[in-house]
Amino acid sequence: MTRRLLVLIVLGFLALVPTAGPAAAQDSVMVWGDALPSNLDPHDPYDVPAALIQLNVYDNLYRYQGNPPQLQPWLAESHAASKDGRTWEFTLRKGLKFHDGSELGADDVVWSIKRILGLGKAAAGPLKAAKIESVAAVDKHTVRFVLERPYAPFLSIIPVATIVNRRVIEPHVRGNDWGNAWLASNGAGSGAYVPDPASYIPTKALDLKRNPRHFMGWSHNQKPIDLIRVRPVAETTTRVLALMKGEIDAGDSYLPTDQVERLSKVKDVVVQRNESMRIFIIRMNNTKPPFDNVHFRRCMSHAFNYDAFIGVILKNFAERNPAPIPKNLWGFPEGVKGYDFDLAQAKAECDKARAQGAPVDREIQLHIQTALDQTTQAAQLFQSDAKKLGLNMKVVPNTWPNLTASTGKPETTPDMWIHWVSAYFIDPENWIGTMYDSQFHGTWKASAWYKNDKVDELLRAARANPNREERAKLYAQAARLVVGDAPDIWVYNTVELRGMRGRVKGFKFSPVGSGSELRWMSLAAN
Amino acid sequence: MLRFVLRRVLLVLPVLFGLLVLTFVLVRVVPNDPSAALAGQNATPQQIAEIRAKYGFDQPLIVQFGIYLRQVAQADLGTSIQSGRPVARDILQRLPATLELTFAALFLGAGLGVPLGVLAAVRHNTWLDHALRFFTVGGVAIASFWFAIMLQLLFSMQLDLLPLRGRLGTAMAPPAQWTGLLLLDSLLAWRLDAFVDAVRHLALPAVTLSLGAMATITRFTRSGVLETLEKEYVLYEIAAGYPRWLLVAVYVLRNSVVATITQIGLLFGALLAGAVVVESIYDWPGIGSYAVAAIFTSDYKAILAVTLLVGVVYSIVNILVDLIHGLVDRRVAAEL
Amino acid sequence: MLVLRKFARDTSGMVGLVIVLTAVVVAVLAPRLAPHPLDAYESHPLRRLQAPSDASPFGTDNLGRDVLSRVILGTRAALSIALLVVAGAMLIGVPLGLVAGYYRGWMPEVIMRVTDVFLAVPQLILALALAQLLGPSLRNAMLALTLTYWPFFTRIVFAETRRIRVSVFVEALEGLNAGAGRVMFAHILPNAAPPIIVRATIGMGFTILSAAVLGFLGMGATPPDPEWGLAIAESRQYLPEAWWFATFPGLAIFLVVFGFNLLGDGLRDVVDPRLRRSR
Repeated sequence: MTRRLLVLIVLGFLALVPTAGPAAAQDSVMVWGDALPSNLDPHDPYDVPAALIQLNVYDNLYRYQGNPPQLQPWLAESHAASKDGRTWEFTLRKGLKFHDGSELGADDVVWSIKRILGLGKAAAGPLKAAKIESVAAVDKHTVRFVLERPYAPFLSIIPVATIVNRRVIEPHVRGNDWGNAWLASNGAGSGAYVPDPASYIPTKALDLKRNPRHFMGWSHNQKPIDLIRVRPVAETTTRVLALMKGEIDAGDSYLPTDQVERLSKVKDVVVQRNESMRIFIIRMNNTKPPFDNVHFRRCMSHAFNYDAFIGVILKNFAERNPAPIPKNLWGFPEGVKGYDFDLAQAKAECDKARAQGAPVDREIQLHIQTALDQTTQAAQLFQSDAKKLGLNMKVVPNTWPNLTASTGKPETTPDMWIHWVSAYFIDPENWIGTMYDSQFHGTWKASAWYKNDKVDELLRAARANPNREERAKLYAQAARLVVGDAPDIWVYNTVELRGMRGRVKGFKFSPVGSGSELRWMSLAAN
Repeated sequence: MLRFVLRRVLLVLPVLFGLLVLTFVLVRVVPNDPSAALAGQNATPQQIAEIRAKYGFDQPLIVQFGIYLRQVAQADLGTSIQSGRPVARDILQRLPATLELTFAALFLGAGLGVPLGVLAAVRHNTWLDHALRFFTVGGVAIASFWFAIMLQLLFSMQLDLLPLRGRLGTAMAPPAQWTGLLLLDSLLAWRLDAFVDAVRHLALPAVTLSLGAMATITRFTRSGVLETLEKEYVLYEIAAGYPRWLLVAVYVLRNSVVATITQIGLLFGALLAGAVVVESIYDWPGIGSYAVAAIFTSDYKAILAVTLLVGVVYSIVNILVDLIHGLVDRRVAAEL
Repeated sequence: MLVLRKFARDTSGMVGLVIVLTAVVVAVLAPRLAPHPLDAYESHPLRRLQAPSDASPFGTDNLGRDVLSRVILGTRAALSIALLVVAGAMLIGVPLGLVAGYYRGWMPEVIMRVTDVFLAVPQLILALALAQLLGPSLRNAMLALTLTYWPFFTRIVFAETRRIRVSVFVEALEGLNAGAGRVMFAHILPNAAPPIIVRATIGMGFTILSAAVLGFLGMGATPPDPEWGLAIAESRQYLPEAWWFATFPGLAIFLVVFGFNLLGDGLRDVVDPRLRRSR
């Protein structure tokens, strides 16, 4: 016993002496420092962190790969759409297996779709918009969707629907929760990695083990990683330092531009830079005076210092994107100039608005997301320039859940707020379509409460038209009209920055999921 | 003695009941619809209606309170927005981390604070006493979040001596879980590597958290010792030629232990409050960082549950302190 | 007079007084003293994150604002928040303590039990919960701090009132048919004033710390207010390079709180004979 005590005392002293080398350098384990979603149910949260679970633990019928993202057959080997665009049939591959070894068939797909819609959480949004009239298994390997009316982006949204294992979930269903309470901290998928529920601490820790029997096989990756410890680091600076010290192998995809230079100097750390499709937007509530006045909205659009924000604060790790469609996506209105920073012009527009009786001088509230520093910086920069115009802008800290809840009604929607629209699916519909068609009023994406009958008509026509070239023209035309009305302030399209240890090889970026598909990755020996 | 114990425990019951009333009232002062707030992000009208029915928001207040009491009695604190799991489960999972941190801070604070206080008293009115006075007043004037950041800056970023965050290195397999207290678990499993790693991770957070406690304990020990030294019987014995250090050791320590224990009860609350900030900076997976995450996600149920829990823990600690106090010093027990 | 002379001999108390008076002067004259008073809200992206220099002795922050100016302007915010919170807490807490101490029966019992409940949760945690539920803003943060700080005054005033209540002069006054309100406010309160003043002084320091924590967690002051806690929160991701951004606001908090604590200590030594003996 005394010897043990002695050992302890010695160890106590040793604890204060730095140990040699970074602690994480284990050859077979990768430590993933990006965020975990609020829970593990793939049909519940629908945000950037959720992709980690949706892409690795689960599979979908089609999947986006690469950049620019391409739709590839995944669980399905092919699909066919009827001429009128209302009936869609997907044919599954043979021999698909869930993690528990049971077979994945058309019934599971049907149940999964019903679960997404029945649960009605955030992830149901795109499927709801498609207005599915019925979904049924034609045979063991064929699923048929019938839509209420033609919906051209249907294939684009299909990757949103992840397939879950009904047999595993059903025993845990309580009331009408579709097993949500259970699946929130467990897995029931078929994907390339299997979650270990015992390791799970919400938002803090999860271990993922490789699924050697994944249907795609592992021939694309000679040395896949068998064990991945997801260990999110809550705060940006800490995350960057943990990366520098080798405690984690990968950071998140929102690396602040101020940190890029610093990380680039560190040996064995690389910064992945990838042009993405994630637009930074300052929203305006078009129903609340003076925002109902187009001159006032133009005044605001001219009052934001885009060059200083993108060039100086973001150090050009972003590209000006003056319209509600990412610049690198089809349908972008080529040649549209948008608005530039011009206080003289802004003043002229504000004066026009004031002359028309708009209450320009009232206090304007600009809501930011406290946890996201970039929104704070943009708001303060904006506020500082608005002050030069004599405008009374007040910055209000808020949270994502509160903000998205408040956008349900025009009265509760803030005057202005700041957010990104990420690439949930790759189609102009994800941006302009869901943001400015008035039928989406009440969702956070449509929180401008913009209404223009001509734009509604164009967007609806684009949605119903199966021909991509014609759709591109319709979206571009709608975008021009929207830009003219200045319902919101579109700032930039993101260059996603993610710090990684150099030993992580095979990282493949796609705007959908921000490159968090783990099956590509391997670890080089130290 | 038994009567004293019972009496003390009974005295806390109204406080616990009051805590329930307080947390109940807190939700009702929300300016927005409490059902919508509790239902959280992207809730459908139907889900909001379910919440309204479950909590009885459409019923008279007294009925709502009855519902609330029943839920708390069944340890049903609602579902957390940040984790999608029962709040009670999240808190249970995270509580040991917080307890380990606060106890470590208390241990450090008392372990250094008592000797420093004795030293200051014995060297009364010397430069050492003045320096320690600066420390005791300054120690409670430092903003803990700033101090934490400065320690990180120095010991983790510049000197690279200690880890920046967390309870255990990411590559370290955690020891088998018995108590949830990593130091204890790693010893029980005789995992010395994990023990050393856990100590290294604990160092900065514990030091940060203990600073205020240490300052307070030093100060109270000092005045307690001074008071004892001025007592007549001590003066008499000094006159009788007993060595001063012996008197300090015998009389003073016994008295200062009593005083320190009383202080610990009061300090525990400050430590729990401090843990909220310290945990969030060091990314310590306890209920403090849980509460801060709850603030950033407007997770009202988690916030209320943490408030309730901290109140209960604090009350229990204070009962324990009184009981120990009573055991050490029978006169106190007689008074109560 | 004797009291003042005694206080004047107490070096650390005097140091505290000097610090507090300096802070008050800085707060009152802030817009005149700050080299760039407009930097309270004006951004200069081109000058961001510059190290301390002659032009800006404390450097500039992430939006190019002069840190020295913002620290100076922050003094005003910190002191006025603390003053309002402590005054509000006294306004609630002192009368309750008087009433509870003066009367007998169920009313004091109820008041003191409610006080106990509030004191059973650490003030900061209760204030955080309240501030979050009310919605983050400086006004709500101050409200939350006030609503959680009054019990400290109630408890002190209660104890003092109970002590004074039994004294001969109160009985004499009651014999003269003096009204209860008159006895409480005109006679008991002045006698209970010293411990209240000590508590309020220390409470100023304590409230500055709590308000800074709320600001740090995004529950208090809102950007671009030059509040110290908020500034430290904003500075975190520029560490360790921009060390000045975090260091100076933190030092400012420390210095002012330190001043109030020294002053409060000095005052306590003067007015509280029991503790004075042990000095």
